[in-house]
Amino acid sequence: MSALLEVEGLTKRFAGLVAVKEVSFTLAAGEITGILGPNGAGKTTLFNLLTGFLPSDRGAVNFDGRSILKERPHQIVNRGLARTFQLCRPFHGLSVRENVEIGCLAPRARQEGDWRRQASVILDEVGLAEKADQPVEVLPYGDLRRLEFARALATRPKLLLLDEPFAGLGAGEIGGIVHLIRRLHDKEGLSILIIEHRLREFMQLVKRVIAMDFGEIIAVGAPAQIVRHPRVIESYIGKNEAELGIA
Amino acid sequence: MRKRDWLGAGALVALLAALPLFLENRYFTGVFTVCAIDGIWAASWDFFSGLSGRENFGHALFIGGGAYAAAFMNGKFGFNPWWSIPVGIVVPAALSLVIGFPTLRLRGPYFALAMLAAAAIMQQFAVIFWQYTGGTEGIYGMSRLIDSSLGNYYFVLATLVATVAVLKAIAASRWGRILRAIKGDEGACEAAGINTTFYKIASLALSAGFAGLGGVLFAHYEQAVTPDDLDVFLSISVIIMVYVGGIGSIWGAACGGILLNLLLELLRGLGEYRLWVFYIILMLVLFFMRGGLVAPFWQRLQGSRA
Repeated sequence: MSALLEVEGLTKRFAGLVAVKEVSFTLAAGEITGILGPNGAGKTTLFNLLTGFLPSDRGAVNFDGRSILKERPHQIVNRGLARTFQLCRPFHGLSVRENVEIGCLAPRARQEGDWRRQASVILDEVGLAEKADQPVEVLPYGDLRRLEFARALATRPKLLLLDEPFAGLGAGEIGGIVHLIRRLHDKEGLSILIIEHRLREFMQLVKRVIAMDFGEIIAVGAPAQIVRHPRVIESYIGKNEAELGIA
Repeated sequence: MRKRDWLGAGALVALLAALPLFLENRYFTGVFTVCAIDGIWAASWDFFSGLSGRENFGHALFIGGGAYAAAFMNGKFGFNPWWSIPVGIVVPAALSLVIGFPTLRLRGPYFALAMLAAAAIMQQFAVIFWQYTGGTEGIYGMSRLIDSSLGNYYFVLATLVATVAVLKAIAASRWGRILRAIKGDEGACEAAGINTTFYKIASLALSAGFAGLGGVLFAHYEQAVTPDDLDVFLSISVIIMVYVGGIGSIWGAACGGILLNLLLELLRGLGEYRLWVFYIILMLVLFFMRGGLVAPFWQRLQGSRA
């Protein structure tokens, strides 16, 4: 197994606060891994560092055998590392199809052939084909979440970073997204890194969990181990133990 | 573009082409010439700022850049006036790169403010280096592109039509799609693998080139340039034209340019109250018809017939 993503000593400070501290981990190709931690643990900052949305202070990030540390967000996407946002960020003023087509216009995706047809395939894949011509303003939140997926998938990623893909969704919609993630992983061999602050969604989806608190990795292991890990439990005390998904 | 849109556009151009023939008056031919030039300026502003949402408060830099380039080429160095056109396109496009590179990478109001400042600085240069620019008097004694005022009007009108057609075609292509996505959410557009900085800078250069072309036409029509061609009042006027016409449609912006200049002429009889009435009308339009006047009106007309 070769490492698709290697992170070494990644550190980011915001005026005195160390948001991400000496984070190191590797992700194998085809792996689906979760990053767990209470709110403020530094998970989203870590994503922003990996995807070039924030410059890091120290450390190394290698993706697919190359350093992507100094690259800009669009360059990283075109290497095959795409992301979704915690709060859905559709392009207002464009239709659902037009939103997805933007991802299909990325140089990496254009090597795959006709961008209009690519968009149709992806809309089908995420279950938005029937709403393709609607303006994004009328979509319910669950569909906006699918649109986030579609736009990221349109860039033909090798690794997909999902920032709280279940946030703001009802139970039924969560089931649909879990199903979609699993299908992308099983059928297309997509490597996936998921951020969540609740373990419940992870239990059935990921094999390995990286737990973070105060910007640091505090534990790594299978979901069943992580649930019982004293430092993980400690990190959730006083916040909301139910959030961990074990109460 | 639907068939009805083609018909509407054809009818409008035919009307603009026919009006000076009926009015048979050099004064009106001149008014319509300036109307069409305003249309070019407004369309070129709308292409970049209307589509990308990055508002340019110094379009006069590009307009005046083209006008002064023409004045130097023809008025100072005595080149054939047709040389003004390529030079008057390239100079503002180059200026746009100088401002676009440092400011369009940044989020926030930096670009708008940098454009405002750049136009003001250039206007001051035009005054300070009076030995070369003629100072506040400007440069005059330029030749016309076409001597007959009717012939010149038709050339300007054809340039307006070509400008709108080219910019509209680009706006309808994937290029325009990307600009609209940048307006929606630039960060998300980068997350979709698009080099947004490149598209913004290239689009600004195109916008600047067409604005400069309009500036060349204006300079040769007036046979003179003055620092007013770089004035903030001109920059703001262009923005108002676009908002009145309907932002983001390009052809609507062009119509806004024509309409506002016509309105200003029609109000000439009011003498000193002219600008007062003009701005009251503008405020009413901007308050009560926030999508603009021309483009939404056409859409409503379509809706009621369909």
